Amino acid sequence: MEMKQIEAQTQDPTKSPSGLKILWRELVRDKVALFSLILLLLIMIFVYGVSFILDQDEIVKVDLFAIHQPPSEEFILGTDYGGRDVFGQLIIGTRNSLTIGFAVTLISGIFGIAFGLIAGYFGGHTDNAMMRVLDFFQVLPFTMLVIVFVSIVPKYTILAFCLIFAAFSWMGIARLIRSKALQEKELDYVQASKTLGTSHPKIIFKEVMPNISSLIIVTLTLNLAANIGIESGLSFLGFGFPESTPSLGTLLSYATNPQTLEFRWWIWVPAAVLILVLMLLVRNVGEALRRATDSRQRRG
Amino acid sequence: MAILEVEDLKVYFPVKAGIFNRTVDFIKAVDGVSFTIEEGKTYGLVGESGSGKTTTGRGIIGLETITSGRVVFNGADVTSRKSKSKDMRKDMQMIFQDPYSSLNPRKRVIDIIAEPLRNYERLSKIEEKKRVQELLELVGLSPESIMKYPHEFSGGQRQRIGIARAIALKPKLIIADEPVSALDVSVQAQVLNFMQDIQKELGLTYLFISHDLGIVKHMCDEIAIMYKGRYVEQGTKYDIFQNPQHIYTKRLVAAIPDIDPRNREKQFKFRRQVQKEYESSYSNYFDNEGLAYGLQSISDTHLVALPERG
Repeated sequence: MEMKQIEAQTQDPTKSPSGLKILWRELVRDKVALFSLILLLLIMIFVYGVSFILDQDEIVKVDLFAIHQPPSEEFILGTDYGGRDVFGQLIIGTRNSLTIGFAVTLISGIFGIAFGLIAGYFGGHTDNAMMRVLDFFQVLPFTMLVIVFVSIVPKYTILAFCLIFAAFSWMGIARLIRSKALQEKELDYVQASKTLGTSHPKIIFKEVMPNISSLIIVTLTLNLAANIGIESGLSFLGFGFPESTPSLGTLLSYATNPQTLEFRWWIWVPAAVLILVLMLLVRNVGEALRRATDSRQRRG
Repeated sequence: MAILEVEDLKVYFPVKAGIFNRTVDFIKAVDGVSFTIEEGKTYGLVGESGSGKTTTGRGIIGLETITSGRVVFNGADVTSRKSKSKDMRKDMQMIFQDPYSSLNPRKRVIDIIAEPLRNYERLSKIEEKKRVQELLELVGLSPESIMKYPHEFSGGQRQRIGIARAIALKPKLIIADEPVSALDVSVQAQVLNFMQDIQKELGLTYLFISHDLGIVKHMCDEIAIMYKGRYVEQGTKYDIFQNPQHIYTKRLVAAIPDIDPRNREKQFKFRRQVQKEYESSYSNYFDNEGLAYGLQSISDTHLVALPERG
């Protein structure tokens, strides 16, 4: 029902702008952000498209006759120490990073939003208890715990990784949403819904949540920028996926070998640049959206 | 028949302080208020800001936790947790002060007005639409506007939407919390007259909360004056405006502006006199903490907060 409303709202030109429309307008006005969004979409289409054609098993197969080949016509970006095609690894690695980034953002986002909304809406003792749980999660040494869980999990798949990671990264968004929900619940329309006999869950998710949707979109986008780099970071430390799963982080970690760092740039430079570019692009978009939520900073 | 009886209603807010966030004191927003409202009548609750009149209304409908006291609505005690049933809420509705924040900006008019219907009555989409259109017509808005959003309406129109939502379930009692304070004067009259019209039409009972004595005089049968969480004076419209006994009420009545410039001198003298009386006899009307005394009955309808004699 919510979606229908939003859709209808954006279709009618006579309405005063809705939150989503303001976000979109700001994005279009900010040329850097618009360019970032287009480039990001192009990279994503390319990566997901090409990785569909590529054969992962073929790419990760060790070929001892093609070790450390510089870029050539056969291997566009050369090969690594196992004779594996760097370009193929780059594409599939980027795909994995993006997928993980999106999945972690989504899972932690859904949980964090629900947690924050419930804590903020009910307030009082509920809020107090829930926030202490949140504090507990927040003081845990994040990276270390993820590494521990990643090592003890029996079957190390992308899904398992996403769940473990999401379990330790929902706190920021929960805190933010809670503070907004605390404000929102004092407004009369929430009180009115209560006197009209609407149930709490319905008020929370159908009345309060649509009213903070722009904040949710902005936060999720900015979180996405951070989350895309996660998998690379862990792989770089050696706790990412095994070498049978190509990863940007694995490619980067080859640069810890001084020989590779100095003479075989084709192995690690593209991965490093790609991570940097991806995170910058998402961030540009997110920053534009964030500006749109504050009318004093808007450009559009 | 009394539709609403409030007995010794108290709403206290804790004041927390210190490292352990202990309750060190209470703000007595409502401190022992009792009244009854007869069916079909309009009961006015007047007071300055912070006097607890809004909190009283919110306590009655259940938006504020009651510290102690009893609210009997339609013969049933609605104070206890168990009886906070949905049916009670169905017959008691509220009109909110601010027509801007009381309507969800993300919802269409049809969804706003149909909200109570969806909670209590199983109607088909077509029936529901018809009912909403009827209600819109009743409050004087075009039935075509059901697909609009709240921001497309003016303040007065928005308040009418709020009223349409409140009367959608045909409630018995409506708590009107300063329903026109946020509107400009020309629209105020419109909304007030309209509220009186639907009162006759639907046989509604109003608990009318306001700080505007003129409006209260226009709307209410019985009036209570509140000050610092307590009743100062209660009586019929005549008792309060023609025969005010408490000095606080006298000052309030004296403060009502008179449009006729010929009376200016007279009005000025009268106010001076009331002010003098207030200064000289303050301790006769307020106790050491500056609060009103308990109510004494001076006629069948008229109660005044005076110190007990003898």
